[in-house]
Amino acid sequence: MNKLFDLRFVIGCFFLIIGILLILHGFISSESDQTVNRWCGAFFSLFGLVMLLLSYRSTTNGPNE
Amino acid sequence: MHLQYIDYAVILVYFLFVIGVGFLLKKRIKTGNDFLMSNRSIPLWITSLAFISANLGAQEVLGMAASGSKYGFYTAHYYWLGAVIAMVFLGVFMMPFYYGSKARSVPEYLKLRFDEKTRTFNALSFAVMTVFSSGISLYALAMLMQTILGWDFSLSVWMAAGIVLIYTFLGGLTSAVYNEVLQFFLIVLGIAPLVFIGMHKAGGWEGIVHNVDNIKLHLWRGMDSAAHNPMGVDGLSLVFGLGFVLAFGYWCTDFLVVQRAMISHNLNAAQRTPVIAAFPKIFMPLIVILPGIIILALQKQFTGYELPVNAEGAVDYNMTLPVMLSKLYPSGILGVGITALIASFMSGMAGNVTAFNTVWTFDIYQSHINRNASEKHYYYVGKATTVIGILISIATAYFARRFNNIMDLLQLVFSFVNAPLFATFFLGMFWKRTTSHAAFWGLISGTAAAALTHGLTVAEGKGGWIANIHTFYSGTSQAFNIAWIAFSVCFIMTALISLITKPKPKEQLVGLVYSLTPRQKDKARVWYKNPLWLSVIVLLITLIFNIIFF
Repeated sequence: MNKLFDLRFVIGCFFLIIGILLILHGFISSESDQTVNRWCGAFFSLFGLVMLLLSYRSTTNGPNE
Repeated sequence: MHLQYIDYAVILVYFLFVIGVGFLLKKRIKTGNDFLMSNRSIPLWITSLAFISANLGAQEVLGMAASGSKYGFYTAHYYWLGAVIAMVFLGVFMMPFYYGSKARSVPEYLKLRFDEKTRTFNALSFAVMTVFSSGISLYALAMLMQTILGWDFSLSVWMAAGIVLIYTFLGGLTSAVYNEVLQFFLIVLGIAPLVFIGMHKAGGWEGIVHNVDNIKLHLWRGMDSAAHNPMGVDGLSLVFGLGFVLAFGYWCTDFLVVQRAMISHNLNAAQRTPVIAAFPKIFMPLIVILPGIIILALQKQFTGYELPVNAEGAVDYNMTLPVMLSKLYPSGILGVGITALIASFMSGMAGNVTAFNTVWTFDIYQSHINRNASEKHYYYVGKATTVIGILISIATAYFARRFNNIMDLLQLVFSFVNAPLFATFFLGMFWKRTTSHAAFWGLISGTAAAALTHGLTVAEGKGGWIANIHTFYSGTSQAFNIAWIAFSVCFIMTALISLITKPKPKEQLVGLVYSLTPRQKDKARVWYKNPLWLSVIVLLITLIFNIIFF
C-alpha cells in the first residue's frame, strides 16, 4: 500500500460533475434567480479542474507533498 | 423545504463517490495495520485536512451555527482560544512522544509510559466516548432529515449509518480519512456561498452591526461576570476551563484527532499536521459561526427567519443553518448545502468509528483477549468492530434525542473523559516522577469528580441528579467548570500519589518523558517545513483576530 490512488483526482472529478450539474440547472431551470447556481457551478468546475491538473502534474512529475 | 431532482442528484453523486472511495481502496487494504493505521503512509496535506475534518462533524457545523445564534461571536472562543493554541502545542511538544514512541494509539502510549491498567481505563472510556459522539452525529443528521425533508427519523438513522458502514468497512481508516478530505472541501464550498448571500441580504457587516445586539459581536467584553455576557461564562472559567483544560484535553489527547497525525509518513509531517490544520481552523468561524449571527440580523429586517420552537417550548437554535439554507438557497445549490450537512455528519461519525475500532482492536482485544494472533486475524477483528461500533452508535442516537443543544452535551462528555486525561498526560510527559499507580488513580479521581460535580449542580434544567447545591448561568458554564474541577482533582491526586509510590526506572522512560528525551534539532531550514515557525505565524494570526473582535 505504498502508493494509494490520487485523492486529488477523486475530488477534482466530484466537483467538476457537481459544477456542471449546477451550471446546466442554472440555464435550464424555469425558477427565477439562478445566478447563484451559475456562479457556484462555474467556481466548483474551476476548482475541480485545478484539482485534476494538480493530480495530472503529480502523475507526470512524481508525487510531492 | 422541498428538494428538486437536481438536489437529489447532487446527494446521489456524493453517495456514489464516498462509497466509490471505499471500493477503490478495498483491494489495497490487506492487513490489520493497513485497515486500522493506514500503514503510516498518508501525505501531509491529507493528514492535515483530515485532522480538522475529523472534528468537523454535524455537531460542529449545526452546533456552532446554533451557538453563534445563541451566544454570538463568543462562540469563536471554541476556535481561537479552545483549539488553535492546543493544536500548536500538540504539534510542537507532544507529537514527538506519540510518534517517536511508535505507539499505535493514545492508550498504547499510556501503556508504555505507565502500565496496562491505565491504558485499559483510557481505552474503555475513549471507546464509550467515541460511540457516544458517533451517535450524536447520527442523531443530528436524522433530526435534520426529519425536519427539512420529512423523512422518518429511524429510516434516516439506519440509511445514513449503512453508507458510513460500507465505506469504512471496505477501506478502513484510509477510506475514512480520504472521505474526510472530500467532505472538508464540500462543507467549506457548500456553506461559504450561504455566508456570502446572507451577508449581502443583511446589508453587509454594517447591516449586522446595526441589527444585532452589540454584546453578541465581541469576544471578551462582559467576561468579568457570567451575568454580563450571553454565554453565561466568566473569564476565568473560559480561559482555564475551555482554553486550557478542555482544549488541551481534546486536541492533545483525543485519539480521534491525534490518530490523523500519527498516520503521517515521518515525524516532521506528524508535527506539522496539527499546525497546518490550525490555519483553516482559524478561519472556520466565518463558515460555521457567522451564519448564526447573520440570521439575527435577518430576523430584524425580514420575516420568515424566525427559528422554530422545540418540544420543550424553547427556541431550537439547532435549526439555524437549515432555516438559512431553505430561505437563501435555490434548488441546485440547496442540494449542495444539504449534502454538505450530510457530509459533516459522515465525517464526524466515520472519524469516531475508525478511532473506536483501532482502540478496541489494539488496546482491548489484542491486549486482553488474543495477544499473539496474525495480522490477518486483527484485520477481521477490525472489520467486525466497525460493524459493532456503528450498531452501538445507532442505539446512542436515540438517547441523544433528549438534549436540545448538541454542543453543550458534547462538552459535557469531553469534560468527563478528556479533562482529567490531560492532567495525566501533562504530568506523565513533563514530570519523570509520575508513577503508574498515581496516573491510574488520578484518572479515576478526576472522572469521579466530573460526575460528582455534574450530579451536584444544575444548568438549564440538566444535572443535579444527586442534589442541587449550585445553579450555573448556562450549560456551557457548567461544562467548563466541570472540566477544570476534574483536571485539578486528577492533577493533585496524581502528584500526591506519585510522591508516595515508586516511579519507573529512568532508562524505561527515554523517549516518553521530556527531560529524559534527547532534543532533536530540526534540520528543516525552510520556514514552511519547520513546525516552530509555522506555529508562530498561526499564533500571531489568532492574536490579531482576538484584537479585532475584542
